[in-house]
Amino acid sequence: MEGKKGDFNVSLKTKPRYIIEDKCTGCTTCVQYCPVHYPDPFNQDISDNKAVHVYFSQAIPLVAYIDDSCLRLKDKKCDICSGVCKTGAIDFRQTTKKTDINVGAIILSSGITPFDPSAKEEYGYKTMQNVVTSMDYERLLSSTGPFEGEVLRTIDKKHPKKIAWIQCVGSRRVTEGDNSYCSGVCCTYTQKQVILTKHHYEDVQCTIFHNDIRSFGKDFERYFQRAEQLPGVEFIRSYASIEKEIPETRNVIVRYATADDGVKREEFDMVVLSIGLNPPAAYKEISEKFGIELNSHGFSKSDSSNPIKTNRPGIFVSGAFLGPTDVPESVFTASGASAQTGELLDYRRDKLAKERVYPIERDVSAEEPKIGVFVCHCGANISSVVNVPSTVDYARTLPNVVYATEQIFSCATNSAREITDLAIEKGFNRVVIAACSPRTLEPLFRDTLREAGLNQYYLDMANIREHCSWVHAKQKDEATQKAHDIVRMSVARAGELEPLLEFDLPVNKAALVVGGGIGGMTCALSIAKQGHEVHLVEKAKDLGGMARRLHTTLEKLDVQTYLDELIHKVYQNPLIHISHEATIKEVSGYLGNFTTTIETEGRIKTIKHGVSVLAIGAEEYKPSEYLYGESDKVFTHLELGEEIARGNKAIINAESLVMIQCVGCRNEDRNYCSRVCCGHAVKNALKLKEKNPDMRIYIIFRDMRTYGFREDAYREASEKGVQFIRYTPEDKPLVEKAKEGGKDVIRVIVPDLILGQRLELTADVLSLAAAVIPSTSTNEIASHFKVTLSPDEFFKEAHVKLKPVEFATDGVFLCGTAHYPKHIPETINQAYGAAGRVLTLLSKDTVVASGSVARVNDYDCVACGACISACTYDAIEFRDTPKGKKAFVNPILCKGDGLCNTKCPTNAIMLKHFTNAALLKQIDAAVTSKDILEQMDAVLEEA
Amino acid sequence: MGNDILPKEIIQQFSDSPVSINMGDKNFGDVMVVGGGVSGIQASLDLATAGFKVYLVEKGPSIGGHMAQLDKTFPTNDCSM
Amino acid sequence: METITPFIEVIDEIKEAGGEIFKMCFQCGLCDAVCPWNKVRPFSMRKIIREAAFGLTEIEGEDIWRCTTCGTCPAQCPRGVKQIDVSVALRRVATEYDVFPASVKSARTARASLISEGNPLQGERKKRADWAKDLSVKTYAEGMEVLYFVGCYLSYDPRMKKVATATANILKKAGVEFGILGDQESCCGESIRKTGSEQVFKDLARKNIKTFIDNGVKKIIVSSPHCFHTFKNEYPEFMVNFEIVHMSQYILELINDGRLSLKGEFPQRVTYHDPCYLGRHNNVYDEPRDLLKKIEGLELVEMEDSRKKSLCCGGGGGRIWMDTPREDRFSDIRLKQARKVGAQILATACPYCITNFEESRLNLEYENVLEVKDITEIISDML
Ligand SMILES: Cc1cc2nc3c(=O)[nH]c(=O)nc-3n(C[C@H](O)[C@H](O)[C@H](O)COP(=O)(O)OP(=O)(O)OC[C@H]3O[C@@H](n4cnc5c(N)ncnc54)[C@H](O)[C@@H]3O)c2cc1C
Ligand code: SF4
Ligand code: SF4
Ligand code: SF4
Ligand code: SF4
Repeated sequence: MEGKKGDFNVSLKTKPRYIIEDKCTGCTTCVQYCPVHYPDPFNQDISDNKAVHVYFSQAIPLVAYIDDSCLRLKDKKCDICSGVCKTGAIDFRQTTKKTDINVGAIILSSGITPFDPSAKEEYGYKTMQNVVTSMDYERLLSSTGPFEGEVLRTIDKKHPKKIAWIQCVGSRRVTEGDNSYCSGVCCTYTQKQVILTKHHYEDVQCTIFHNDIRSFGKDFERYFQRAEQLPGVEFIRSYASIEKEIPETRNVIVRYATADDGVKREEFDMVVLSIGLNPPAAYKEISEKFGIELNSHGFSKSDSSNPIKTNRPGIFVSGAFLGPTDVPESVFTASGASAQTGELLDYRRDKLAKERVYPIERDVSAEEPKIGVFVCHCGANISSVVNVPSTVDYARTLPNVVYATEQIFSCATNSAREITDLAIEKGFNRVVIAACSPRTLEPLFRDTLREAGLNQYYLDMANIREHCSWVHAKQKDEATQKAHDIVRMSVARAGELEPLLEFDLPVNKAALVVGGGIGGMTCALSIAKQGHEVHLVEKAKDLGGMARRLHTTLEKLDVQTYLDELIHKVYQNPLIHISHEATIKEVSGYLGNFTTTIETEGRIKTIKHGVSVLAIGAEEYKPSEYLYGESDKVFTHLELGEEIARGNKAIINAESLVMIQCVGCRNEDRNYCSRVCCGHAVKNALKLKEKNPDMRIYIIFRDMRTYGFREDAYREASEKGVQFIRYTPEDKPLVEKAKEGGKDVIRVIVPDLILGQRLELTADVLSLAAAVIPSTSTNEIASHFKVTLSPDEFFKEAHVKLKPVEFATDGVFLCGTAHYPKHIPETINQAYGAAGRVLTLLSKDTVVASGSVARVNDYDCVACGACISACTYDAIEFRDTPKGKKAFVNPILCKGDGLCNTKCPTNAIMLKHFTNAALLKQIDAAVTSKDILEQMDAVLEEA
Repeated sequence: MGNDILPKEIIQQFSDSPVSINMGDKNFGDVMVVGGGVSGIQASLDLATAGFKVYLVEKGPSIGGHMAQLDKTFPTNDCSM
Repeated sequence: METITPFIEVIDEIKEAGGEIFKMCFQCGLCDAVCPWNKVRPFSMRKIIREAAFGLTEIEGEDIWRCTTCGTCPAQCPRGVKQIDVSVALRRVATEYDVFPASVKSARTARASLISEGNPLQGERKKRADWAKDLSVKTYAEGMEVLYFVGCYLSYDPRMKKVATATANILKKAGVEFGILGDQESCCGESIRKTGSEQVFKDLARKNIKTFIDNGVKKIIVSSPHCFHTFKNEYPEFMVNFEIVHMSQYILELINDGRLSLKGEFPQRVTYHDPCYLGRHNNVYDEPRDLLKKIEGLELVEMEDSRKKSLCCGGGGGRIWMDTPREDRFSDIRLKQARKVGAQILATACPYCITNFEESRLNLEYENVLEVKDITEIISDML
């Protein structure tokens, strides 16, 4: 790779697949005949695969490839596959292809490699049969895994009844070969594995050995509680050691420490090593080739004021290559990298990309319904319970069904293509897909209809997974019967479906950003740098938000200097219009066309904008516990940080300082972790130790949640002599005012679990990790923008993983601590992420509105207003018509949820795509009138 | 049990988008994304939707990254495909 | 639960005694989980570390004397706590205050003997070379190929003298020009240092170093892993470096160089016990095994806990001089492990291990089923 931003030349080598991609249909005939068996890396080597195979059943592209284990490639011996492939897709003449490409920017998303525990004898991996990694375990749980979703021991194919998880394998350890950082995901994925295991097998005993539960993410605390409260699940606070494998049973003996009963020894059928995340295997190569710097751990070296950027202009990083992260963060950093690329390459937007073209839609409204039915196995998710072939046979017997077949994964590329092709070939005009929930895959299948020249609303999905196979796993016959019923109902409805039009709405290309903290400003700047006007609305006098009260970060960012520069850039940017001391009075409109009225510095102002970003931040809880407000020696961590920055002598010269963590959260009132305070405590402690190395500092905590690279700072604090004392919520520290040697002090008494004694500490200063709580204006803003809140009353994103920076309400985005407490670099990443998503809309001239909306029949409307109060999106209003005042549905605001229908006394309002006719047909199909009569007769007879 | 599915949807949108997976013959693009895990796919999609031509480069035989290997994902227990 | 205040003065004292590393502990419990003590009785290194961190150590108690310095927990501690250093620091503080529990009293006798005679076994200094009287072993002189540093147990202990004899035999057979220091040799000081008598260690070390230098010593062969460890890793604190080779390594070298060849067959099932100070502390795992594998007919089997996981004999850290009740002896477990894999011979390469194993062998009445041998003894019979 060479060149500079705007103009990089990269030469790529594409390994030959030995398969002509266009010819391969993914039919896997070749795989059946291939004589070479070898362990399948996708299934963590637990099961076998062949030299020619499809990487996994939903692989993209879904075509076979031939790897190095092939006999022909090795010594030209075999040629079986070429013979059996009907389409002649196998081509051994392919060679490594070199392609040179020229691009303006590069995004490195090279991810992570799971830690390999086999290098360390003590973990027993590969030497003991029933010691597996969490990655292996993921495959065991998966229906596409080695045992089709059954958790079995490879050695004897028995179900393990007692499973242990050992946490922090490869993480949080300074021992050679391990990583010193916390991988951040393994605590929570272990809980997931426990929940899924218990879901599969109620009677399995699950034991988790850990040293801190790091549930620092949004909803993680509740997730942990969910796992912990399952019967037969035990979380034990001790790292565990694998003693040995019992030769006869291949069970594994694990030893662990308890504070009260000493070391215990326990036998397990299976041990799962909760392995951490390493940088991508080729990190050195990546760094050399792209000329980017790495940190000491091998991840991309990030500047905490913009982690996504690298030292090389034009090259950005997203996802877990930034440092160990989970899926949501990998997703929004991706959008963030996209935003930053957009800033750089705005001048060439739309020059190279092409729109997709669909065939012209066929008018089939005059035709009789001709329905094609596709029944999906969903790997084994459906077919392990529901008899799929019988369901197909049954579908064939239904009225209007002209064709029915089964598919392994209907959502796989080749299956979708098959649907399109068959629709054309067999000429059907309606399609029923009996598979999963429409929530996720409906857009995909609608697309396949469009490809076939059909109106996309001629699709119905019969949910035989969530509604059937998943909930009736133990009643196979009844489940099959139910699948028949569901398919029959779906077919009945499909016959009544009507074609609907979607329409394009013009987009106002300005954005409104609410909140002028680091998140809001970063987002505003990025949008403006991509050529769009931004209205930045701040309720306070000045920009800056919470960061005004922060001075340093663990990553050693000088927050005030950074903030001043950021504010300066915001003021300098001609496209950003700032309103201070502003309150939002009214918001109307919809995606692409919002109108917001604000009052700013006494004046009313109306802003027109296409999208809104809510970045209203969060606040600090005012503690009512631990003498806060009653003693001038008690501070919050935020106040402490400010006092340190101010150089308050009373604090810096204190002999002894105590911090208490988790004040005001992780309790019944606020059942979440504030995420930042453990790092905050460590940061303050380090700062104090730097100024006064002799100060005795005690941090009283529940779990130290210094996830990621923050673990290094936690260790550094220990190194500097900061003492950490664990407490439990059942036995909280006691705090009282006292006098010692004539001086006023705070006395803190806290039990130490290891000592089995209470420690009495004398403190000159007490600092509390006060919770981060939602901004006071959250409710107000939420009602203006019609967005929803999570149980903890932070803003609720549309989808944790799919849409982490947008609301369910179209055109409204979020970032920063308004979403959930987070550290500054995380806020910055998320703000760029929001900007990236905003640009996917603002860069377009139009947006598409759904066809499935409500409509009022003016003749029947009696203007009672029942629908207006039912609608949660304010989509209905009265309009004056020649026939008088009538309700009118704004099709752009309507989400098609149908609440209004049920309220209308005259049936004047109807929901397209869910017409009464279609729904009644569907309901009628549920139980035939013959059945009903029979049942009635039976009841009568009994009576 | 949640029922929202991740890369699959992304991937599908992806096949709707003007993204070239390093197959086009005109080797001139706006952005190259290295790595086809969730993050790389999302970046490609966002860029493509925002009007850029993207080359997504993946060293393995399929896109999806490690997430494709996961059974379900926390904290919603969605299927990761 | 009692309420107590941290004892700042004690914390400082422990820090001064070299135990400051306690501050790194995050109480994960792994040290307790791996410690061999917990196979015989409850013992918590984690608690010892925690008590030290708050100056609450029970200085007169038994627990601070328990750690055998086997090296298992420090090798695995995720926070890099050097538990042995903390133990030693605590023992230094106790020694300073002159408080010892009953079981440690015998270690005081060893200490006195070390000060007066240069060995812990109350042997007279001038009799140090008596084992070699009839073997025509030379006194070391400058220019000789190697110095054989015999060590206290091999010099005085009747059982261990056999090992010294075997060693001399091997060296002679191989034509190695070697010598010993006779009564100029002093204890290496390893174990007394671990019991907290830093000054005694320093005096012994200085004496030895002076002797080495005066005699122009460059390469030293040792029989005891404890001597090996001290010379290699601790004497450099005095700014000296000698080439140190353990006998098991040296014999292998002699065979590989063609200077020594083995004859005959040894049709026995043998298992090898890794001494802590050879294995975990110095990573010598392969040479002793490679050596045994060179013996025709010998079948080498591994016990349950081998190599990195090797079970300590119980003799390190000065424990060899302290009283351990029968039911608390690791060596008993080790012998049972050897029996379990059907070994006829338990081979090892450390005088402490052999001493402890021989005692367990008597106690367990294994005299007829299991032999305990130093590797040199086996080799010596095959020449
Ligand atoms: C056992 C386990 C369970 C987990 N469970 C969860 C969970 O339940 N929920 C959750 O949110 N997170 C979970 N995670 C974390 C999750 O997997 C990651 O956050 C996420 O997959 C990271 O996505 P990514 O795109 O950044 O990286 P990856 O998924 O690692 O993708 C990177 C891609 O880049 C490719 N690549 C690398 N280098 C190059 C190169 N030089 N050229 C071209 N291509 C390259 C790789 O082949 C790979 O396909 C889990 C992790 C593990 C190990
Ligand atoms: S503490 Fe960190 S490294 Fe350890 S299991 Fe939890 S997330 Fe992983
Ligand atoms: S102190 Fe804060 S970050 Fe730490 S566990 Fe408690 S709430 Fe979470
Ligand atoms: S292993 Fe290390 S960190 Fe863990 S309890 Fe022991 S000394 Fe502490
Ligand atoms: S060094 Fe060995 S004996 Fe000492 S505490 Fe650690 S494991 Fe136990």
